[in-house]
Amino acid sequence: MSVNAWIIVGDQPTVGNLVTVARSLGGTVGAVVAGPRSVAEIVASSGVDKVVWCNAPDDVPAEANATALADAVAADPPRVVLAGRNPGERVLLGAAAARLKAAVLTGARSVAVEGDGVVVVNAVFGDIADETVAVSGPVALLLDGGSAPSGDGASVPIEEVSAPPLGVRVVETRTHGFDQVDLNAAHRVIGVGRGLKSKEDLALIEALAVAVGAEIACTRPVAEGLNWMGKDRYIGSSGARIAPQLYLAIGVSGQLQHMVGVTGAETIVAINSDPNAAVFKETDHGLVGDLYQLVPAITAALK
Amino acid sequence: MTEPVEPDFDVIVIGAGIAGCVTAYQLAQQGRSVLLVERGEEPGSKNLSGGVLYSRGMEQVFPDFLTEAPVERRITRNYINFINGDSSVAVDYRDARLAEPVNAVTVLRAKLDPWLAAKCEEAGALIMPGVRVDRVLTEGTRVVGVQAGDDELRAHVVVAADGVNSFIAQDVGLRKKPPQHHLAVGVKAVVSLPRKTIEDRFTLTGDEGAAVAAVGDCTEGVGGGGFLYTNIDSLSIGIVVRLDDLTAKKKVVTDIFDHFLEHRFIAPYLEGGEMLEYGCHLVAEGGLDMVGDIVMDGMVVVGDAAGLTLNTGLTVRGMDLAVGSAVAAAEAVGAALDQKNTSRATLAAYREKLFASYVGKDMETYAKAPHFLETDRMYKEYGELLADVLYGAFNHDLKPREHLVKVARGSLAHSPLKIMQLVKDGIAGARAL
Amino acid sequence: MKIVVAYKWTRDPEEASARPDGTVDWSRAKPGLSTYDPVAIEVARQLAAETGAELIGVTVGDKGVGTPLACKAALGRGLDRVVTVEDGSLADAGRSELAAVLAEVIKHIGDVDLVVTGDSSMDVAAKMVPTVLAGELGWPAVAEVTSVTGKAGELRVGREIPGGAQVLEISGPAVLATSADAAAPRVPGMKDLLAAGKKPVEHLDLAALKVSPQNAVMTVTGRSLPERKVRKGQLIDTADPAQAADELLTALRQAGAL
Ligand SMILES: Cc1cc2nc3c(=O)[nH]c(=O)nc-3n(C[C@H](O)[C@H](O)[C@H](O)COP(=O)(O)OP(=O)(O)OC[C@H]3O[C@@H](n4cnc5c(N)ncnc54)[C@H](O)[C@@H]3O)c2cc1C
Ligand SMILES: Cc1cc2nc3c(=O)[nH]c(=O)nc-3n(C[C@H](O)[C@H](O)[C@H](O)COP(=O)(O)OP(=O)(O)OC[C@H]3O[C@@H](n4cnc5c(N)ncnc54)[C@H](O)[C@@H]3O)c2cc1C
Ligand SMILES: Nc1ncnc2c1ncn2[C@@H]1O[C@H](COP(=O)(O)O)[C@@H](O)[C@H]1O
Repeated sequence: MSVNAWIIVGDQPTVGNLVTVARSLGGTVGAVVAGPRSVAEIVASSGVDKVVWCNAPDDVPAEANATALADAVAADPPRVVLAGRNPGERVLLGAAAARLKAAVLTGARSVAVEGDGVVVVNAVFGDIADETVAVSGPVALLLDGGSAPSGDGASVPIEEVSAPPLGVRVVETRTHGFDQVDLNAAHRVIGVGRGLKSKEDLALIEALAVAVGAEIACTRPVAEGLNWMGKDRYIGSSGARIAPQLYLAIGVSGQLQHMVGVTGAETIVAINSDPNAAVFKETDHGLVGDLYQLVPAITAALK
Repeated sequence: MTEPVEPDFDVIVIGAGIAGCVTAYQLAQQGRSVLLVERGEEPGSKNLSGGVLYSRGMEQVFPDFLTEAPVERRITRNYINFINGDSSVAVDYRDARLAEPVNAVTVLRAKLDPWLAAKCEEAGALIMPGVRVDRVLTEGTRVVGVQAGDDELRAHVVVAADGVNSFIAQDVGLRKKPPQHHLAVGVKAVVSLPRKTIEDRFTLTGDEGAAVAAVGDCTEGVGGGGFLYTNIDSLSIGIVVRLDDLTAKKKVVTDIFDHFLEHRFIAPYLEGGEMLEYGCHLVAEGGLDMVGDIVMDGMVVVGDAAGLTLNTGLTVRGMDLAVGSAVAAAEAVGAALDQKNTSRATLAAYREKLFASYVGKDMETYAKAPHFLETDRMYKEYGELLADVLYGAFNHDLKPREHLVKVARGSLAHSPLKIMQLVKDGIAGARAL
Repeated sequence: MKIVVAYKWTRDPEEASARPDGTVDWSRAKPGLSTYDPVAIEVARQLAAETGAELIGVTVGDKGVGTPLACKAALGRGLDRVVTVEDGSLADAGRSELAAVLAEVIKHIGDVDLVVTGDSSMDVAAKMVPTVLAGELGWPAVAEVTSVTGKAGELRVGREIPGGAQVLEISGPAVLATSADAAAPRVPGMKDLLAAGKKPVEHLDLAALKVSPQNAVMTVTGRSLPERKVRKGQLIDTADPAQAADELLTALRQAGAL
């Protein structure tokens, strides 16, 4: 039973979407886990047919198992390898792609098997256009990982491989204190931009988020530069792409790189004091005005 | 005149616009070591211009300019449009003589400037993009080099080609901050359209091009005008309005531009097009008054930096004047370098050559234009008056037809314009333009 | 010690536009150094300054990547020399192919201890070239790198991970992809640019590199514009915030968004 699609996993078992895509391609779906055993155990219940775990010392990061992982994948060469967009998974996918001499595509909107090959509709150049690419030979896809499996599915056995890890060791791990978030799981999301004057003012947004039942996300400069939130909370071409029921952009100017992250949203609302802000071109309901007046008013109206 | 430190270059040119590139090119051609410093990451990236270039001057410098350079279309059709709220009167001047020999072409600076810069590099000039000159270095009365950030570089001659604001010329006291009434502000956009659509809309064939000048309601009565030029597969559209009038009438330039774009007599040309570029830039309008001192020990000033722009009411000219000044400057600087004397007295040959050339002549010819253009009536009442006259002639309301002069007089009676003003403006206009 | 910085000379999609048939019009886009690569150069430059390492820029791609303008733009940021592979056939090369060519260049240079790259290229933004490159070389790769100190064989690398940060120790050669805010790139000054014109540039011939072929062949069979939801574009009058809030909530309830 040779593997049709390998799912590549590092430190996090967030593979829901990868399993769905891999399953849709038919055939056997395998997962190789380069991270801890505990991650392999969760992945084993995600609906895949087999799991291979790379056994390595504890102080070794998942990336150090890149060679072992590539060996495992190459031992049963697939048509497709898939990985989520995390930094660790990207490294592991790169190792597998190099070993397989596979095509690498990172903007897949859809993937289908056609004859001997794979056809991918791939968004290119900051999502300004789509290309339909027919690939003959192995394909490596970087996709949104999706959520972690709930853990109540049936588990498949875990096969163990080990190879000497590459020369990388973890000497220190710190958490940055920001809560981690799975924006893809949220039905409603509030995006905060630089229109917010200070970090303290996030309280205003949090009150609204509680009232609406929304997760808080942001633009890139709010996470990177201002550092008001973790980087996993920023939306856009280089951040998260989400498709919630409602996206509420507050003090967000609406540049291309941000908005491509929310094109899938059902309804978009924007609050911005600048009537010419680009964000209004892509909203269902626009409120031109000061967020410091409008946000409390909406929070109050919800109560 | 002795220069204690051996300079890094013969010449340092500040600004890779048209004036700077053409000066640098010619000096490099003479075999001088030339440094061309441009603050934009890429030459042309910050430059914006209406786009009609009177090309003869360029052909003197680059004989194959028309075939080699990225020119868009040859202008064979000049269309002058007096626009009112819902009427317009136009003069449509087409002339095959304008095509052969070529008189004017449309250009896009985003393409032309990099081409010019590449020519400079081929000729041996060193180009430094992404460097903003903060000030020139002086020793006594002499300019000896430039400073950018922590770095200083020295040259026998510095050429200030840094455009209309010329902080460089202001910094060394050659120029004062231009008074507001000598400045206009231009807004320009490039709108893409298929080649065929442009040729159909403007009834052009091949590489023929049209230049539309618009006066009147297109600027909401503010002193200035609008333009619309055809490129190969795009249109350059913009307005140029007087800064002082804008302030006095409390208008916002971008609003006026939007109004122009949406105007019922303009919008159809643009229909279906996509805006590719958009920008604002100052235009010097003072005419000869703006040209101040352009020579000092170790430095000359060329192009817009020297105040060399002409607003003839129907066109803004600056690019060809920039070329003319570059030619004069390169000759004078070259001669001064040969004499190993780059003092003000030697470099003064630049000024003489400039005023002996078409640049100086034209600047003098149009010397009175700025004042004439400050007349409010130009921008409002004339267009309406013309339309009223023609309305009388063309509106067949079953009344017996009247003689045209009578119609005109009747319209004048309703128009706020007084006969005397009309006569005066007519005379002033004929003199100035 | 030898440090290679892989940088890309390319175009910015902000300056491109997609035509209705899905093809991309690049005619107004000017080539330049990819947005985040100066960050990589700066991180590597600081390490080279501390360790006395040689700093070599490498770029591979379509015609144009090896022009004096392009090389000087990179050299002006502090590289000691540049090695390029400029070949028209690389215009449509995929990530794996580019990485394979880069790997051969690095082998050609020889004795390279470290490769530093940017976070993502400004046109493709795949974040994959460095990782495939590491795979080709059989070296470890680390992404989202915020700092590098130490020396060859004893590198200490700071990096961000989801939810926090880590310090790693790397004992052999590696590929490090810097995070977008790892360092503030310096703007090259006149002296840097003057010096850049005098630094060595080596142009390698693609055919001579003997890059092993890919197993996958990609063919573009169709192009289109991405589907976009049509947005309602309704503006709500905000003169009275309370009333605006009510109006918004009514609209959202109708739309089923609340
Ligand atoms: C290669 C590349 C990749 C990028 N990737 C991403 C990405 O993935 N995600 C991303 O988000 N960005 C990305 N960017 C950055 C992006 O281009 C924008 O710079 C960024 O999204 C702007 O963030 P902002 O809207 O928070 O800030 P600004 O653009 O500064 O906008 C702030 C807005 O707040 C409004 N405002 C101010 N005060 C008030 C008030 N009191 N009430 C209401 N409104 C107010 C202002 O009118 C303004 O429109 C990328 C850039 C590059 C070059
Ligand atoms: C809206 C508009 C329409 C126009 N239409 C026409 C037209 O149709 N025909 C025509 O002939 N003219 C037209 N003009 C005028 C024409 O654009 C100018 O006269 C012409 O650009 C002058 O060229 P220049 O080289 O002197 O200056 P610029 O083109 O302004 O170039 C100056 C250069 O110097 C650089 N620079 C400035 N300061 C520094 C510094 N400190 N360090 C380094 N670099 C620096 C700038 O980045 C720039 O590249 C128009 C102008 C405007 C604004
Ligand atoms: N053609 C190339 N030549 C050299 N380096 C490259 C090339 N393409 C990508 N890179 C490097 O890889 C990084 C990530 O690129 P990408 O995978 O395209 O997002 C860039 O920031 C560069 O450092």
